[in-house]
Amino acid sequence: MSLRLRIFMTGVGGQGTLTATTLLARAALSAGLPVTSGEIHGMAQRGGVVESTLLIGCKSPKIGHGEADILLGFEPLETLRALPYLRAGGLALSSTESLPPLSVATGKEKSPEIADIKARVVEACGRTRFLPCRTLGLEAGAVQSGNIALLGALCAMDALPFGLEVVAATIRATMKPKVAEVNLKALELGAAYPAE
Amino acid sequence: MASPLLAGAPGETHLLLGNEAIVRGAVEAGIQFVSCYPGTPSSEVPDTFFRLSPEGAYSFEYSVNEKVALEVAAGATLAGALSLTTMKHVGVNVAADPLLTLTYLGTPGGFVLLSADDPGCHSSQNEQDNRIYARLAGLPVLEPATAQECKDMARAGLTLSRELGAPVLLRTTTRVNHLRGPVVLAEPSVLPAPAGFQKNPARFVPIPAFARPMHLRLLETLDRLRGLAEVSPFNTVSGTGTVGVVASGISRAYLSDALAETGLEGAVKVLELGFSHPLPENLLASFMEGLTTLLVLEELEPVLETEIRALAQRRGLVLTILGKTPGPLPRFGEYGVALVAEALRELSGTAAPKADCACQAPQPAPLPNRPPNLCAGCPHRATYVAVRKIFGDAAVYSSDIGCYTLGILPPLKAADFLVCMGSSISAGCGAAKAAGQTVVGFIGDSTFFHSGITGLVNAVFNRHDILVVILDNRTTAMTGHQPNPGVDKTTLGDNPVSVDIEKLVRGIGIEQVRKVNPLNLKATLKAIGELKDMSGVRVLIAQEPCPLFARRAYGQKRTQVAYVAADCADAAKDGSCGDCLNTLACPAFHLDEAGKMAIDPLLCSGCMLCLQLCSNIKARKGDAK
Repeated sequence: MSLRLRIFMTGVGGQGTLTATTLLARAALSAGLPVTSGEIHGMAQRGGVVESTLLIGCKSPKIGHGEADILLGFEPLETLRALPYLRAGGLALSSTESLPPLSVATGKEKSPEIADIKARVVEACGRTRFLPCRTLGLEAGAVQSGNIALLGALCAMDALPFGLEVVAATIRATMKPKVAEVNLKALELGAAYPAE
Repeated sequence: MASPLLAGAPGETHLLLGNEAIVRGAVEAGIQFVSCYPGTPSSEVPDTFFRLSPEGAYSFEYSVNEKVALEVAAGATLAGALSLTTMKHVGVNVAADPLLTLTYLGTPGGFVLLSADDPGCHSSQNEQDNRIYARLAGLPVLEPATAQECKDMARAGLTLSRELGAPVLLRTTTRVNHLRGPVVLAEPSVLPAPAGFQKNPARFVPIPAFARPMHLRLLETLDRLRGLAEVSPFNTVSGTGTVGVVASGISRAYLSDALAETGLEGAVKVLELGFSHPLPENLLASFMEGLTTLLVLEELEPVLETEIRALAQRRGLVLTILGKTPGPLPRFGEYGVALVAEALRELSGTAAPKADCACQAPQPAPLPNRPPNLCAGCPHRATYVAVRKIFGDAAVYSSDIGCYTLGILPPLKAADFLVCMGSSISAGCGAAKAAGQTVVGFIGDSTFFHSGITGLVNAVFNRHDILVVILDNRTTAMTGHQPNPGVDKTTLGDNPVSVDIEKLVRGIGIEQVRKVNPLNLKATLKAIGELKDMSGVRVLIAQEPCPLFARRAYGQKRTQVAYVAADCADAAKDGSCGDCLNTLACPAFHLDEAGKMAIDPLLCSGCMLCLQLCSNIKARKGDAK
């Protein structure tokens, strides 16, 4: 059977989840892979959840529960929320730096502690990797590039049918030089970030 | 760099959003006229046409509503222009009147209506199935499932419409509009300039004597279209066996993956219907020969299922037809690969594998939700806070469609009922009349132009009692900052012909009008207080640009941010606390590590509403957004 790979991505509106998705989809296309991606963002700009997908070797742009091979969470609470999409033994990468929803920020609800989130993700998944995406993004030069750091870590885990250099080439080919520079740095920082 | 959507060379492959692929397909067909009213999930089609309009060889307009958009395009195609009108599914309700007669008149220049349906209500108030409009109006239907098909069917639909002089419905769903996939470009057609309108009253004026033959001609056209559907390359047969599946729209993608998943590829007979109406009856009848069971895959209503059942009955075919009536598939929401795979397994008697999800254990506690919220600095929040200060829960809040519907959430609680675009005013009038309750209607500027004006004129004429608050944020914010007739700026520059809402309101005879900047709380409270004490039709215009749009289009930079200058716990004791944390729901507010109220300077937009609510919040220099 030809290669089939499903990646589920989740984050918060404004984080750049869709930019990362499109970048990865372009990279897959440039590697000659049959790629489809999808996004759901009805009211995303207003601080809601943004979910997107990237599928290789599939026609559907949608990923159901238990179908994703890889989960990329750009915000830890959203990583936890999206766990049901991951198949047993799937791979999960998540940012460890949270953007609390309003109810949590204003003390009306409690979010699970990051240690608790990590433990639950580790328990549910095959391989995992956690990164301080916001910090890495700032180190690279722009907070939004933290997402690209997560893509760097994904490449470093050899979980994709193409390598870091394909993503790097796509960044160079599709972004303005200044923006590309920041994102290339973030990609490197993410790839080099040590596993725990 | 020129956009590949306009300048891409034949043979090039680009990763395109479904909606961008539709734009390319129209460009390849030689599109000459585009009109729309924006609405998710259709908006990227017109927004892309708008963005590219300085270089494009077409006329483009954001019309005031879908009825107008369709009528403008109807005129254009009658005058020979290849035309496209785009809208979301509920927009077709607004445009239904011209649509149902345009099919009688025909469309000499060619015309495609894009209806973007929303199974699952991702961003809509209902999940109506607009394939039914095609049956009602007499329109052929093309339903793409991939980005490539979005491009190919947009082109084929326009070309077909021009050849037959009959309008075509391009029907998508959210997943199709918002998927991305590789699209191979083709050589664009070059069309002659529109020939202009050719007078022929018997053909174009549907007075009863002419309408009757027009209807007959439409029925003949539909017969011709049925013949074309029989041989369309968008309708394909594959596989063998006694179990068959007919699939349309995005269900075709789910079917393809489900067949691979279940190992049933080739072992069931598949008919994919991309050109789904009029039903290719001969193709279907020969497909059904020798089948014992047929599964029909279509999201929402059992449209094809019902037609196929009727066909089987007429042709004397005996087989079991499964779908939604009575089951096993749902008549609501979206399909998916797992749902289709399960239906296939049931049909073929294959055992289902064990559920294989990473997260079998129930979550220990429900996770805090992350509902969307009005942005920091949103002027709607300021208006809602002021209205609630004056009316509290004593008024019924008749809401409308836009960002401001988010006012439904506590603590603002400023949306009690909502029917459709423009209903805040008219439905609000009826609610007030029925039992004498105080009603405040909220409507945005774009929605007011869309269909609020007629309701307001009606309110004047029928002497209703309502306070209408026009939330004028100088753009159509919810769908992505499209212009409307009232704006003075667009993302492409100035709008020299802005329609003045206040003059319009006064022009229909309303004298009880106040206009405020809602970020000035004192003035807003004073205006609302005055209007509260009056009766009849009253209008408050709360005008302040959407801060996201103001940054983008006006280059607005605020140089101050708000900060908490006192300990809120102490302030609560001495009564000076404005309780902003609990009354504003501002995304910049949070409790810091010590549990004290704080304002995130990165998120604060510098609107300074909170300063006016609490003396313990002050302004300081900072890079407000």
